[in-house]
Amino acid sequence: MKDDPSRRDVLTTAARVSALLGLGAVGAYMVRKTMAHDGWQIDPELCVNSHVGAAELVACQKCATTCVLQLSAVRAVNNHAGCGRCYICPAYFDVKSAVGPDGLPSEKACPRDAIRRVAIGEIDPGDMANNYYEYQIDEKLCNGCGICVMGCKEPAGLGSIRLEVRYDLCVDCNRCSIAQTCPTDAYERIPFDKSKPVVAAERA
Amino acid sequence: MTVRAVLVGLLLMLAASMPAGAQIDYQRPVDVAPTEKSIGGGYQVPVVQRRPPRSYALEIIDVGVLTAGLAATAWTLLVWRNRLATLAVSIVMLAYLGFYREGCVCPIGSIQNVAVALVDPNYSISYVVIAIFLLPLIASLFVGRVFCGGVCALGALQDLVLVRPGAVPPKLDRALGWLRYVYLVLAVILAVLPAANRDFIICRFDPFVGFFRRTGMIEILSFGAALLLLGLFIGRPYCRFLCPYGGLLALLARLTWRGVVPIPIRGQEGGLCPESCPYGAIDGIRVDQGECVSCARCYQACPREARQTRGPTLVKLTKMVGGGKR
Repeated sequence: MKDDPSRRDVLTTAARVSALLGLGAVGAYMVRKTMAHDGWQIDPELCVNSHVGAAELVACQKCATTCVLQLSAVRAVNNHAGCGRCYICPAYFDVKSAVGPDGLPSEKACPRDAIRRVAIGEIDPGDMANNYYEYQIDEKLCNGCGICVMGCKEPAGLGSIRLEVRYDLCVDCNRCSIAQTCPTDAYERIPFDKSKPVVAAERA
Repeated sequence: MTVRAVLVGLLLMLAASMPAGAQIDYQRPVDVAPTEKSIGGGYQVPVVQRRPPRSYALEIIDVGVLTAGLAATAWTLLVWRNRLATLAVSIVMLAYLGFYREGCVCPIGSIQNVAVALVDPNYSISYVVIAIFLLPLIASLFVGRVFCGGVCALGALQDLVLVRPGAVPPKLDRALGWLRYVYLVLAVILAVLPAANRDFIICRFDPFVGFFRRTGMIEILSFGAALLLLGLFIGRPYCRFLCPYGGLLALLARLTWRGVVPIPIRGQEGGLCPESCPYGAIDGIRVDQGECVSCARCYQACPREARQTRGPTLVKLTKMVGGGKR
């Protein structure tokens, strides 16, 4: 080995400094257009289950089936402020099922029976149809299939139920499988300060 | 207007599928949600079931932990020169970044985000991701691949299962090492595709993240298990042959300012034992800084090292965890 040590040192140092400058340039470029705090969010106006005008009447269910977790991190959330509290809730009942003896549809829409229906306010026991009902979604049972969201969306309902990412469950995959399969690209990673407002809440 | 049109269409569709009279004639009873006042009876609108996202402060703490891990490894490796201490740092990092943070965010996957951010003007990444991508690379320019040895959860997992290190023929080792760059190029190409076709294959085929989350696709979990089985006998197969970030670190670590070197003894030539390195990173007696993953096994195996540094070296315990000479 007849390497001149000082010359090799100089070359290595030069390469090191240029590599450092390169990394700095990459960093500076990215910092210029960076954003602060972001996370996976569902754009309700794009989600086929909730946005008005979707032609097909079948819930998409991709959120329930493609999440890497056993039970999806996406759950249906009822924004109570925007809920019509209907006697016959099109998200709670399968309104196409046969009418039972009580005059209500005989089947529920939720395949996992995750919605609870309770009469609220000043209850009129003589005329049950004249009461308001609260619809609570049991988060532990919900798998985010979106059938209720589909039922509640306008014009059948007021659109108070949305699919939302539950951040205590979401493992924040860099490559989110739901985002990969979402048919309308409603599932996106955006800064929290640019979150889309929940439409129903604003209307109510 | 369109809303009404859709409503009519919906009712028509309902009517069409109706088995005469068996179904309710559904119509939305209200146009606006009733308020607390209109509901009456002291009703209060319940709180909406939402969970806030993980706070930004905690994400900054992740960066802090990563930085502390890099610094601690640099110290245990280059100053203390202690295998056990380096291993301890890597176990802490495995617990935090692996099992607590469940594998995300990680520098390996951040390659793809950085690639997209550099190409797509509409795509931006957070400060946290930029830091997580750059810090280990910068560290590798100064102190070598301390990220691989002390911080990376994937590396720590493989380091822990290595019980009977066997040698890979150097030519094969070098040839397989090129796979990392093939994977890197492929990952970058797939990441910078237009948004609709974009795919992050590094994350998709991450073999160990399923173990950290204790759930995942069975194919990927099996791939991870196979790599760990292979890793019983061949040191860190993922790091050496597949990890694209390891490939990047290797390029920069060649230029490292400080690295793993034998203790100099005046008037004597000295080196490190090639047999002590399960990763084939000691070429002759010199360390190939590009391939050294900073595990510090060579120090532990070196009799001269033991004489020079009389630290608390628990040889038996380190043999149990796969250290030492074969």
